Amino acid sequence: MKKKSMMKVFAVLMTAAMAFGLTACGSDGGNEGSEPSSEASTTEQSTAQDSTAEDSTAEESGGGTAGAEGLKIGATYYTLQTEFCMRMDNEAKKWAKENGVEYTSYDGNNDASKQLEQVETMIADGVDAIILNPQDADACSACVDAAVEAGIPIVGVNTMVNNDQLTAYVGSEDVSAGEEIMQYMIDYMDSDAFNIVVIEGPMGQSAQLQRYEGITNVLADYPDIEILAIDTANWSRSEAMTLMETWLTTYGEEIDAVVSENDEMALGAREAIKAQGLDIPCIGIDGITDAVAAVESGDMIASDFQNAEGQIRGALDTAVKCVNGEDYEKEVWIPFEMITPDNYADYQGRY
Amino acid sequence: MSGANKQKAAVRQRKMTKKQFIATYGSLIGLIALIIIITVIRPRFLGGANIRNVLRNASINGLLAVGMTFVVLTGGIDLSVGAIMGCAGMYSAYFAQAVLGYPVIVAVLIGLAVGLAFGLFNGFCIAYLRVPAFVGTLGAMSVADGLKFLLTDAKPIPNLNEEFEFIGGGSIGPIPVPCIIMVIVLIICFVLLYKTRYGRYVFAVGGNQNAAHVSGINTKKIIFSVYILAGVLSALAGIIMTARVTSGVTSTGDGYETDAIAMVVIGGTSLAGGKGRLWGTIVGIMIMQVLSTGLDMLGVNTYYQMLVKGFVVIGAVMLDSLSSD
Repeated sequence: MKKKSMMKVFAVLMTAAMAFGLTACGSDGGNEGSEPSSEASTTEQSTAQDSTAEDSTAEESGGGTAGAEGLKIGATYYTLQTEFCMRMDNEAKKWAKENGVEYTSYDGNNDASKQLEQVETMIADGVDAIILNPQDADACSACVDAAVEAGIPIVGVNTMVNNDQLTAYVGSEDVSAGEEIMQYMIDYMDSDAFNIVVIEGPMGQSAQLQRYEGITNVLADYPDIEILAIDTANWSRSEAMTLMETWLTTYGEEIDAVVSENDEMALGAREAIKAQGLDIPCIGIDGITDAVAAVESGDMIASDFQNAEGQIRGALDTAVKCVNGEDYEKEVWIPFEMITPDNYADYQGRY
Repeated sequence: MSGANKQKAAVRQRKMTKKQFIATYGSLIGLIALIIIITVIRPRFLGGANIRNVLRNASINGLLAVGMTFVVLTGGIDLSVGAIMGCAGMYSAYFAQAVLGYPVIVAVLIGLAVGLAFGLFNGFCIAYLRVPAFVGTLGAMSVADGLKFLLTDAKPIPNLNEEFEFIGGGSIGPIPVPCIIMVIVLIICFVLLYKTRYGRYVFAVGGNQNAAHVSGINTKKIIFSVYILAGVLSALAGIIMTARVTSGVTSTGDGYETDAIAMVVIGGTSLAGGKGRLWGTIVGIMIMQVLSTGLDMLGVNTYYQMLVKGFVVIGAVMLDSLSSD
């Protein structure tokens, strides 16, 4: 009897914990999500007010897309729980409103098979074109096959997918981002002999591989810059903080600079450094809100801004061209932009 | 006099059955309502292509829940099913690489062997070494994750044998292969649970382990066996999923154990053990899958989807416990 009632309590606790976990995730994400969406709606209002002005500027910058009216486009993002992907999604929603497109976005939840499921759902739902922001270059190859088989154009955005049949790809060259931050750090240090630590993204992800390739490309010309330690922190601020703490215990003040493959991890490392009362320069990639603030406050020396808005707009434009049978470029590269103490103000309040 | 009594008894019985009706069919009614609502807003939901998608995905993810049902019926829990799925998927992908040229059956058997090994490990720890199920399978989850990453240093395994890919992506006539596999698994499991002595023992062990033991059931053996079943079915899910995405990826199965537990409890199986039904789990599987695909199709914001799923799980269990009191 006693045992049974204990099991009951345990069961209730289990469900409660599970339910709480679910709702906690939900409410957390909800806050994050509601903020940009309200922002998006205000910008939409302002666009509606001076629509003529917007139209002309849009045409100049190539932001407006001819022949998009009435199309149905679906997009699957490898996650909608990070700022960068949210920025793409919000921009796509704005673009869809401007162009009279029916747009549906899907959250891949970091799961390649989930994305395949979503691509198939989109096909069944009768979309005209699919935007794919793949979780994994190889695993998401099946998404492309499914779309091609259904005769629907599929445009990759932001991260690569290993499939020749991909209709087009719009992204930024991560190799150049790696080169740019490494070179910027060397210029900042004003020396060609110092020690760095490198914090990497999730091993095997194309952004990790290419950004690292960029970093090593530059280092090839500087044999006296030594990488003391290199490890992954999976794009995560908290993981990077722990990693940096370990490195500071191991190498202490031997570390002269931190090169991180994204901003989140650079910020995490910087927190660990500050907690030890040290001042080691950090640099990252992406140009997220916190990083812009960190460049302003001097916590980061710079951040290489990845233009989420430019990428998703490029992808949507390309998708529309494909649907309408117009000429399009198979690969579109959107350049990175370095956010420095001189120009950070341009990036504040951009999204 | 006696006639009136009979009537009263009949009325009482009808009242009881009403309550029982909700307890038994509540989730099924919910599922049907859900499908109707989604279809009204988005008629394409009931299109042939989409039904095939939903059933195929439900078949793969559902395998975990079928195994989990047996475990939960004995009063246990298996947190390692998602990790076993991922691990088995990677190892079978390794042996299914086109360049290696092994026959498909090798890749499948290797994957199943991984699941069997974890099942044996879990079962042995829990039944014979008296490790609590929650802890034992939590450990196994970490071990499976580690072995999965060690195989290729977390790199994916592309270019699999085309015959292997058929297991996940192919179909026989209009019916996807994963659905056929699921139906076979379900038939075996229904027979096991409802037509054999073994099935009765599973319920008995979960209901009251001491009583089951005293009445001569080898309770340890029963507990041992359910983890083996869960492990093998998880591995099967991993193999099918890997074949479907046409490459071995380390993210496969991450977090699927919570979905599997949710499917089981939505289906009315009690986490305290001894009480539950396999067909309820099928309803639970379908509810989770219809929710996931349907809400996506309706363009519901992903954060709201999380809220909805959370409340569905709580609501289903609440309905069940309120109406069975």
